[in-house]
Amino acid sequence: MDRFANIIAFAGLGCFALAFALSGLYPYLITASTRPEASIAELAQDVPATFHELKERFPVAFAAAHAESDAALTARELAGMQDGDPRHDASEAAWQAAYARALQHGRDRYVAEGCWHCHSQYVRPVSNESVRFGPVSTWVQDHNALQRPVLWGTRRVGPDLTYEGRLRSNDWHVAHFLKPKAVTPGSVMPPFPWFFRDGWQVHRRIDPEVAERTGLSADTSYPLPGVYDTQAEAESALGRAQQELPSSLAAERERLFVTEGNGLNQDGLAMLAYIQWLGTWMPPENEPE
Amino acid sequence: MTTADLPLPAGSDQPARPATQALSHHLVHTALVRWHFAFAVVFLLTSMTAGFLVSLNFLGHYPFENTSWLAVGRLRFLHTNEIAYGFLVNGFVGAMYYAVPRLTGKPVLSKNLGWVILAVWQTLVVATSVGQLLGFAQGVEWGETPTGFRPGTWELNYIPVDFLIELGAVLVAAQFLTPLARSINRKMYVTGWYLTAGIVWLVLTYVMGNTLPEWNLPGASGAATVGLFIHDLVGLFVTPMGWGLMYFFVPIILRKPMWSHALSVIGFWALAFFYPLNGVHHFLLSSIPMSVQYGAVISTMAVEIVVTTVIVNFFATMSGRGHALRTNLPIRWFYTGMIFYFITCLQCAFHTSLTMQKTIHFTDWVPGHAHLVMLGVFAFWIFGIITWLWPRLTGNEWYNRRLNQWHYWLTMIGLLIMFVDLLAAGVIHGFLLDSLAPWMDIVNAMKPYWAVRTFSGAMILIGSVLWTVNLVLTALNPKPYDYRVDLVDEVESTGPHAGEAGAA
Repeated sequence: MDRFANIIAFAGLGCFALAFALSGLYPYLITASTRPEASIAELAQDVPATFHELKERFPVAFAAAHAESDAALTARELAGMQDGDPRHDASEAAWQAAYARALQHGRDRYVAEGCWHCHSQYVRPVSNESVRFGPVSTWVQDHNALQRPVLWGTRRVGPDLTYEGRLRSNDWHVAHFLKPKAVTPGSVMPPFPWFFRDGWQVHRRIDPEVAERTGLSADTSYPLPGVYDTQAEAESALGRAQQELPSSLAAERERLFVTEGNGLNQDGLAMLAYIQWLGTWMPPENEPE
Repeated sequence: MTTADLPLPAGSDQPARPATQALSHHLVHTALVRWHFAFAVVFLLTSMTAGFLVSLNFLGHYPFENTSWLAVGRLRFLHTNEIAYGFLVNGFVGAMYYAVPRLTGKPVLSKNLGWVILAVWQTLVVATSVGQLLGFAQGVEWGETPTGFRPGTWELNYIPVDFLIELGAVLVAAQFLTPLARSINRKMYVTGWYLTAGIVWLVLTYVMGNTLPEWNLPGASGAATVGLFIHDLVGLFVTPMGWGLMYFFVPIILRKPMWSHALSVIGFWALAFFYPLNGVHHFLLSSIPMSVQYGAVISTMAVEIVVTTVIVNFFATMSGRGHALRTNLPIRWFYTGMIFYFITCLQCAFHTSLTMQKTIHFTDWVPGHAHLVMLGVFAFWIFGIITWLWPRLTGNEWYNRRLNQWHYWLTMIGLLIMFVDLLAAGVIHGFLLDSLAPWMDIVNAMKPYWAVRTFSGAMILIGSVLWTVNLVLTALNPKPYDYRVDLVDEVESTGPHAGEAGAA
């Protein structure tokens, strides 16, 4: 056995092949080969409201990321439409295409930023994990194109994310990606400023009465949806916002102003879409045997 | 045994020949050994620095928070990947350039190929790190090397470094399997078994881990293969290379043969058989079929028995040369590594049980274990090998031998602190998880341990910096090296049989 050819044949090839057969091929034969893997298009069939919201909040970045942006209509845009308008169906297809792309891109970012080294995506049947995080993971729910290779992770500095989707609002995640420590004091998650782009926003200063009652500074303001590349675009958005206000709220118009601000860029949008997707897709029931 | 290792006749007072002269043997390309070692040390330092910086994040003091290409998550890839492909591979390949021709009596395939491999490999390691820092990692732990294609598709999104590394590994295989196949000895020595198998396994493992889970094996079965990849990279590449070189260097330095050939045989074949069967133990209590998980647990326990035979063999070989631990630094690196190896494997045998997995999986216990294996065992062995060879390769006496001692003690004590600290943190994390404590309570409970980890990491990093300074200054040192200084003599017995060894 101590000849070169024997070492190559029995140790180098034989033992390797045996191990692969037992711990790679065998699990494949009894799990993955028994049902088709869900494609990304299947995963992206139900487009959640959180994804619609991303288009409303960050229209410029959304349009840059998705060519279907114009065809994908938000609820507000659809509301004014006649029944049977062909743009209805076109809108649904556009949303699905955009969502599928965002999920794929979001997964790429999740991998490349190393999220999976601090967050797991698998709930074990022990240690009260099903109480803390949600139902125990099954191979069927991980049998999809976004788990290729799986993002189960090996360490939990942060909590498990198997069922993170729809647990928190988009706004929470946006603030959290920008400044995790501001949202969760004591957090060790690093910030991700490169998920954001600088631009211009329309802000609304708060009502003076509210400021007085709450003790907030009268200069406190909050952004309206939309982040624009140039000041001019933001100014025209300001004009539109002022026109939309009824004349009874004319005083409100004075409280709107344009300022520098930032919002998600394409990477950030995709990340949000992916995070909000996690755990929301459930595999179709097995075929009756 | 080599000419440089043989003692001069007793009482000889002729000046020592420069070690390079003894080494300028037509078989060994010392320049290649030197350059691989030099790159190994460079990547060791960059990797350790990255690890140290990442640890600062956990104290809330990360200095490069707003720089995307120095993001904590991306630097972590660099930390583990440069240790594997930059430090360990260069260290092992350098040592093989020294050992394989001596072992087989044949030169490597081609010296020019050697320079090509040297250049190609460093380029790949740098391309890997640059790709990861720019945000093109792959979702396989310890194989985050950018694939270049989106998994499951042939859509190109980066230079396909993965496939180039496979090519590089094939070149390495051709370089070293040629002399191993043409060896002047019909029967191979143990080292030859390990190196031959290890080279073949490297190529196979890399191809398996970087293609199958991405293209062929979805979901849980892909996870099983990823576990197999992580494990095979350690068990079927790093471990055989490490042990193969131990079987080569330990008898040379101690100047006596291995204690038992039979135990070497058992050690090798049991490693070949049991080690790769362990793969799935990286994902226990998961949705991989339980039968596969139980199989992995049982074969992990079997490995511990194998390990014991190898350790017994090496410690029995030490018999009569125990003073070398005190007088010979490379031997001390080797044997400290072996003790850590035993602890590591003993840990494996227990912590892969589902009972312990319940608590320690997903906690700092695992990085603690990983540091003991990668740093405490294989890096220690490479430190020992480079420390043994460096004055011989350069022909120069050490610039300062005390710096080497500082390297040993800072690294060893630093690692022990880190290991114990992370184990403790892991157990506490595990029980807090079970207790349903709020998540931030768990994170806050970890912070003192993370501070200790940074401190121990700094010790290790400083040790390696001192050693690197010493290596550079030694290369420039005009004083020639006298190899007789480092020869391990017969035991100076003071017992009833004093003098007999000399008489025999």
